Amino acid sequence: MFKIQAKSFISIITSKLILKMSKTFLKGGTNFPGKVALKIDKNILNTISKNYKIILITGTNGKTTTTNMIYNIISSTNQEVITNSSGANMFSGITACFVDNYKFANNNVKYAIIEVDEANVKYITEYISPEIICITNLFRDQLDRYGEVYTTLEKILCGIKKSPKSLLVLNGDESLLGNIDVPNKKIYYGFNCAVDDTKSVNLNADAKFCKFCKCNYKYNFVTYNHLGDYYCNNCGYKRPKLDYHIDKIVEQSKSGSIVEINNNKISINQPGTYNIYNALCAYTVSRVLNIENNVIKHSLQKQNSSFGRQETINIEDKKLKIILVKNPAGYDQAINAISLDEDKINLAFMLNDNYADGRDVSWIWDVNFEKLTSLNVDKIMISGIRLYDLAIRLKIAGFNIDKFHMCKEFESLLSEIIKCDEKTVYLLATYTAMIDFRKLLYNRKYIKKLW
Amino acid sequence: MELNICHLYPDLLNVYGDMGNILILKHRAEKRNIKVNIINISINDTFEPEKYDIVFFGGGQDFEQSIVSSDLLKNKVSFIKEYIESGKVFLCICGGYQLLGKYYTTPAGEKLKGLGILDIYTEAGNKRFIGNTIIYNKEFDETYVGFENHSGKTYIGNLKPLGRVIIGYGNNGEDGYEGCIYKNTFCTYFHGSLLSKNPELADRLLKLALQNKYDEVALSTLDDSLEMMAKEFIIKRET
Repeated sequence: MFKIQAKSFISIITSKLILKMSKTFLKGGTNFPGKVALKIDKNILNTISKNYKIILITGTNGKTTTTNMIYNIISSTNQEVITNSSGANMFSGITACFVDNYKFANNNVKYAIIEVDEANVKYITEYISPEIICITNLFRDQLDRYGEVYTTLEKILCGIKKSPKSLLVLNGDESLLGNIDVPNKKIYYGFNCAVDDTKSVNLNADAKFCKFCKCNYKYNFVTYNHLGDYYCNNCGYKRPKLDYHIDKIVEQSKSGSIVEINNNKISINQPGTYNIYNALCAYTVSRVLNIENNVIKHSLQKQNSSFGRQETINIEDKKLKIILVKNPAGYDQAINAISLDEDKINLAFMLNDNYADGRDVSWIWDVNFEKLTSLNVDKIMISGIRLYDLAIRLKIAGFNIDKFHMCKEFESLLSEIIKCDEKTVYLLATYTAMIDFRKLLYNRKYIKKLW
Repeated sequence: MELNICHLYPDLLNVYGDMGNILILKHRAEKRNIKVNIINISINDTFEPEKYDIVFFGGGQDFEQSIVSSDLLKNKVSFIKEYIESGKVFLCICGGYQLLGKYYTTPAGEKLKGLGILDIYTEAGNKRFIGNTIIYNKEFDETYVGFENHSGKTYIGNLKPLGRVIIGYGNNGEDGYEGCIYKNTFCTYFHGSLLSKNPELADRLLKLALQNKYDEVALSTLDDSLEMMAKEFIIKRET
């Protein structure tokens, strides 16, 4: 046992006690215990993260799923590993995670797979030097909170600069991440084959203009939004060479994808192109950690979907698939994944405008809801604080308003879901709407755990 | 009947869901059997004032806005001035609004030249004005709701505002005005999208455009119950 200061000891014990109480009484995670720990000892994170090999995952979309995939892969090798929940990806929440897992007499080397909010990377790397930092992608996201994509990138880079020895695992198809000016060693992953025949970015995509010379990028192919094999004809900036790559998409269906990564056939049991990226990032990190190909393969084909990421909940005879939506890029990908379902489906939407959802709901106008009108949709249910705004958006997208079931209360949404004729209900919900609806499902005993 | 709607820099100024305004204008016109053509005009394209009946100019990120600003001054300023002065319908939001003025100062303190078409200017503010906003236009007797998110403080001189602020900051957080109107040019900081909860304003723009083109203004009434409930919700919650 290494020596720790009295201050750190008190900090850990107090925080652990609060954690214990909040788990018992509040039945869910909170940032509060971490805040207390930091108040007593501001360097506590440095003390309690010793003996961990830390992998940070940040970026706009895919953090939670990628974190879970890496966690599951490492777990299956029987090594000790911890992770934080998606609701605790800020400085204090991450501190709480380490406090919770801290044992005074355990010096084994362990892994910590930590999802971190983009703006919080710099607070973490102040105290921790991660083995690996992954950046998944950068899209416009809740502009009232984060600001613009270039600002978000600057914030992440500011964190990376504090940890020059961390290996960077970067999405190579993300034009904002090529040639970034940091001394760290970099590994890039991406697609070496097209998903479909899209060769130009949608008008409404982000970051379409060269970050060096401001001319518009050309693409050999686009995978989604502004991701893809890009190059600039004017200054010659282009996608870096990929170290880990999708060589072939064998199959994409509503139950998942089969792909070839560096000539290895991999099944991913979560649908959609965005989940191929998540799996590819997890694969890359695992290979860097020298985990065998078979182990990764086995783990990726039996992933449990994480909280609000196409997690399926049985409600009477209905299968409710909940998808968390936070920004246009993620929403569009969710819509694409739903579009893989060829059966008759029901759609439910929840739009809230609390701080964690983004107080400005304007972003729904940048989502391609028009695409949903071509599906075989039976019933449409609309709920959440800003249900009327969403209803207007769907009306303008081309849905008939006679089909709308406006559910002001979550109770009525639940009963409308139970009354559906068709078995499958997709629920697209913003963060606090999903949390609140889950509380109702928990109280009605449709789910066993809140988090 | 037919309306040509020009969308200025849809590929560059597109971050705050302002695209919705185009979708809404198109929807409301088509419900009245008016054919709508959308014409996207961007970098190096020629702006042809005689071709359009409504022009929409939205807001973007600083990086993209700097690209737009130099293209406007190089290729389009005199044509846009001609369009606006002729009394055609022009809707400007946020960054577009700022660019029409004489100048705007960036948060870094850099003073950038605007198009100088409107006698207005924008200074950098040290506080970001973020939140739901409600304004009242006395002349039209209409209440508009939206969401503002800007740090620039705009001063409109002798121009008419789009409305008087009831809730929120408006142009500069000082004089109680939001937006401005010059001839048939309407400027505002409202996102939301603006027209999603303000169908009266959407129809006002359509009517003005039809009047300019066909001298007639008969627009049938549409079912705006969802729009009105969305507006009422904001008014009730925020006041």
